[in-house]
Amino acid sequence: MKLVVIGSIVLLAILHHDFWWWDAKEPLVFGFIPIGLAWHSFISIAAGVIGLVAVTCCWPKHLDEDDGPSPVHAGEER
Amino acid sequence: MAFGIIVAYLVLLIVLGVGAGRLLQRTSGDFFLASRGIGPFMLLMSIFGTTMTAFALIGSTGKTFQSGIGVYGLMASWSGIVHAAIFFLVGAKVWQLGKRHGYVTQLAYFRDRYRSEVLVACLFPLLVGFVMLYILMGVIGGGRFVENVTQETFAMRGTLTEVPLAERPADLEIPEDWKERVRHDEARGMLVLDGSIHPKHRKDLLAMSPAPAWKGAVAALFAASPPTGAVTKPAGMAIICIVVLFYVFFGGMRATAWANTMQTIVFMVMGVIAFFVITEELGGPVEASKSLLENVNAPEPSRMQREGLIGQLQFLTYFFIPLSVGMFPHLFQHWLTAKKASNFKLTVVAHPVCILITWLPCVLLGMWATGVLPADTPPNAVLGMMVSRYSTEVLSGLIAAGVLAAIMSSMDSQFLCLASLFTNDIVAHWMRKDALGDRERVLLGRGFVVCVVIVAYLIGLSNTQSVFDLGVWCFTGFASLSPVLFAALYWRRSNRQGAIASVLTTAALWVVFLPQVLHGGGEEDEFLVWGAMPVVILVAAATAVLVAVTLLTPPPEAAIVAKFFGTSDGRRGGARENLR
Repeated sequence: MKLVVIGSIVLLAILHHDFWWWDAKEPLVFGFIPIGLAWHSFISIAAGVIGLVAVTCCWPKHLDEDDGPSPVHAGEER
Repeated sequence: MAFGIIVAYLVLLIVLGVGAGRLLQRTSGDFFLASRGIGPFMLLMSIFGTTMTAFALIGSTGKTFQSGIGVYGLMASWSGIVHAAIFFLVGAKVWQLGKRHGYVTQLAYFRDRYRSEVLVACLFPLLVGFVMLYILMGVIGGGRFVENVTQETFAMRGTLTEVPLAERPADLEIPEDWKERVRHDEARGMLVLDGSIHPKHRKDLLAMSPAPAWKGAVAALFAASPPTGAVTKPAGMAIICIVVLFYVFFGGMRATAWANTMQTIVFMVMGVIAFFVITEELGGPVEASKSLLENVNAPEPSRMQREGLIGQLQFLTYFFIPLSVGMFPHLFQHWLTAKKASNFKLTVVAHPVCILITWLPCVLLGMWATGVLPADTPPNAVLGMMVSRYSTEVLSGLIAAGVLAAIMSSMDSQFLCLASLFTNDIVAHWMRKDALGDRERVLLGRGFVVCVVIVAYLIGLSNTQSVFDLGVWCFTGFASLSPVLFAALYWRRSNRQGAIASVLTTAALWVVFLPQVLHGGGEEDEFLVWGAMPVVILVAAATAVLVAVTLLTPPPEAAIVAKFFGTSDGRRGGARENLR
């Protein structure tokens, strides 16, 4: 699953460089968003979806080991 | 009215600071880190609120006005991908290390990881300088915005603006409530305006007579720049700084987290409302885009595309700018406030969507502004002018509160982080452990922040740089330090010599490029190197130097590697060393 998530992020980064819409003003998505802007809005939503898959399937369990009370007292912080 | 609403909002923030101050436990741990007890929603709001500032609202609208819709791809969609990845790979890991070893600041982590005072001495001025630039961006953007939306707050009666008008038009009808403000002096043949005038009221003045002589005189009156009666940029800048200083000093990190949560909600909601109100005035979103497509007077090339406005290499290399988020010291401190690691999950998922909700309306407004505002409008003024021109006074005030919320939700974290860097990493570290009590540490931090804010304010008085370009150069500095962070977290072999060399390389290149970036302080095109963002050169050089020097010098002590990466048999050294 980790590979799928990494692959998706790489793919998203490649799709980000949408040279094919470079000089396109139209079509206007929903009648008012130029296609180049709509494409990048989609990239933002896709980043959130990949994030959801990543935290659901690839969350490093060892990070949760430290969920208890802090071993360091407030006054001893540095 | 708009100014009244802004003042009411600022008072609310101060009350919030006082409230948080009453709940504050009088320890530096609670002041700087809210006792590491922040939940997932508050963590998302404070991290998102901290990363979205004048840059995201005022900067993005102004930059779109200049360079078109590609601005969203340059910053927003790249940030959605890169920020989420950094929160996942760096944020949660830093939180874990912070909790285990009791770090309050970024410098405490680097000091411990590399066991080097030289590294801390190199990093401290750089981080303070970059954060000051970040603060400057908020101060300038906020001051300019307040000035634009508070016009005619003050009547300024007694300040006369006069233009020639030989004869009073026969059909001129001056309404009763205007008679004190505008009159025709027949003896001298002059049209006289007494006091300030809001842009919205200009059309009322024009409509008082259809006579061409009247129209010409009124146009000349506007050209003669009568006073706006606005809260001036320096006053707006000062008000913002004082309010943020007050609630941060009163309530520390707890007030900052509360205020950030409230302010983030306020600026997202007000942003959406502003978008709908302005769009409605423009005839609806479909009509606004259609008329921009058909408008022959709109600037060429069209702001609805990227061709001729943004280069392909420039677009690609903007990828490096959001790497800066890993090295923001104020964000680093927010990461440490989380109650548990899993609280980061919501931030990883929702952050890109929150960016979309904030940036998309701003970019669309900047695009539509090209069809309605003069081409020579300063980029930093575009959002304020759109709000002032297309919404009611009450809404202008509410929207202004939203924009200020975005600015202040970053500034508060920056002030607090500067205080903690100075007290915890410089003063307290270099003095005897018992030389300073908690109260003295907090006071010293406050004094340092006040000095930094005064310097930023003085620079802001004369600076005319675009908020967007200022922000990009600030982020370039932070991004160039990120190789050291990644190496510290993920490269066992990484040592202090490599880290110091990399930080010095960043400092040298950042200073070398600075004059070209500022290029006279204007609001012109971005500085590029062979079509690419200079951040590429800085990150590449910092990384190359880091790797080369590390490999040419001895590896770090085994105890350091064991503490941060565990031993080969899977044990982690020093995990509870601070229990003592």
